[in-house]
Amino acid sequence: MALEADRTGSRADTFLFLVCVSLSLVVMALPVSWRDPMAGVLRRSVLAPLLMLQEQSTQFQASRAVFVELERQRDSAALAATFLPALRAENERLRGLLGLGERLGVGYVPAEVLHQAEPTSPLTLVIRAGGRRGVRRLAPVVSPEGLLGTVDEVEPRTSTVVTWAHPDFRASAMAADGSVYGIVASAGGSGPGGLWLLELRGVPYRQTVAQGTLIVTAGLGGVIPRGIPIGVVMDTAAVESGWERTYLVRPLAQPASVGHVVVLVIPADADASRGFAPRDARQ
Amino acid sequence: MKREDRVRFAVLLAALVIAQFTVRGRFAGERIAPDFLLLALQLYAIRAEPGAGAVAGFLLGLLRDALTPASFGSGALAHTLVGYLTGWGKAVFFAENVIANGAFFFIGTWLRNAVVALASGTLRDDRLIHELLVTSPLQGLTTAAVGVGLLLVFRGWPAVRPRVL
Repeated sequence: MALEADRTGSRADTFLFLVCVSLSLVVMALPVSWRDPMAGVLRRSVLAPLLMLQEQSTQFQASRAVFVELERQRDSAALAATFLPALRAENERLRGLLGLGERLGVGYVPAEVLHQAEPTSPLTLVIRAGGRRGVRRLAPVVSPEGLLGTVDEVEPRTSTVVTWAHPDFRASAMAADGSVYGIVASAGGSGPGGLWLLELRGVPYRQTVAQGTLIVTAGLGGVIPRGIPIGVVMDTAAVESGWERTYLVRPLAQPASVGHVVVLVIPADADASRGFAPRDARQ
Repeated sequence: MKREDRVRFAVLLAALVIAQFTVRGRFAGERIAPDFLLLALQLYAIRAEPGAGAVAGFLLGLLRDALTPASFGSGALAHTLVGYLTGWGKAVFFAENVIANGAFFFIGTWLRNAVVALASGTLRDDRLIHELLVTSPLQGLTTAAVGVGLLLVFRGWPAVRPRVL
């Protein structure tokens, strides 16, 4: 009986299904200039309370971890109270060293990453910081390890970040010693086990880059400041005979695992290298 | 459906939506953690007609696309397919037992991820293979486990209710 009942409704069901599929295809075919405002409206309206819920949950989680850490510190502090003056001096010194934001001084906005469940979620991230906190379009987004991407869409309370894994991502790059320049772009999941990698393209044929060379942003193009670590050269990906070389680069910052990021709002001609610890210190 | 059943079902769906934005972030493997929103869609689609499942899937997919603009539209397409096929599968296979529902949840999650990965065109080569053969099946398993757990805890009342003429 029930099976027959379902079949009687199948014509209307098929019609609804085809309409939904057609609408999905239309949405996929929309130009980016239409898609982004549409997505922005949804994020600011229907999804706003849910994103706020996710943000509070993330903050609660972080607060709990901080609380546990503080309890440990309190116990340690009670034990070491007799050495208070020395501890105070050491604390001051560590406070001066810790934290990417503090190293950068001014011109940064910290933000939580609101991860999603889809397989393409590492390509674009939604972060909980927007125009109200000074985030601008194309501002570089970094983690303590290095460059994560650039801001693509800015809304009052949230922003969308195009990460280095996105096929459209490009950044001018150079070897840390300035000997080689090129353009960094996503190489997709071309690493072992589908590992996301980057490519350093456009390196002149006569120049070679040794494995393990640190690649940083070059600051050319007026978008991303100079000196932000990107990755480490792994291998040669391709050689355009007599013309240019392409190198595979292992990125330092991983979009899928990062929980908090920093949006840089410093001028594009600034030098951001002082915000990042030397490579040896990071490893 | 009784009014009491409808209310309980709505509460369950609301709880799954809240879990997606609160509990899910606490799982260690973010990419293989259960997808509570997809589970809510499938629980709804199992009880509803295929057309209603498709519409619900389209709307849910569109909302999720707003959070992952790299694949805008492909989420709507994927969730439409999952919503429709879950409702249709219920009619064809008459899935009233927990194991069959668990299989629906697993296949639905894998299918959603596969359609998003293929339709968006942003995953290629090894990454695509890894997504289809490793990450998506694992997420399908965790989602199915949660779905089956819910059906067992609630003694099957969220499961399929055939329409009677």
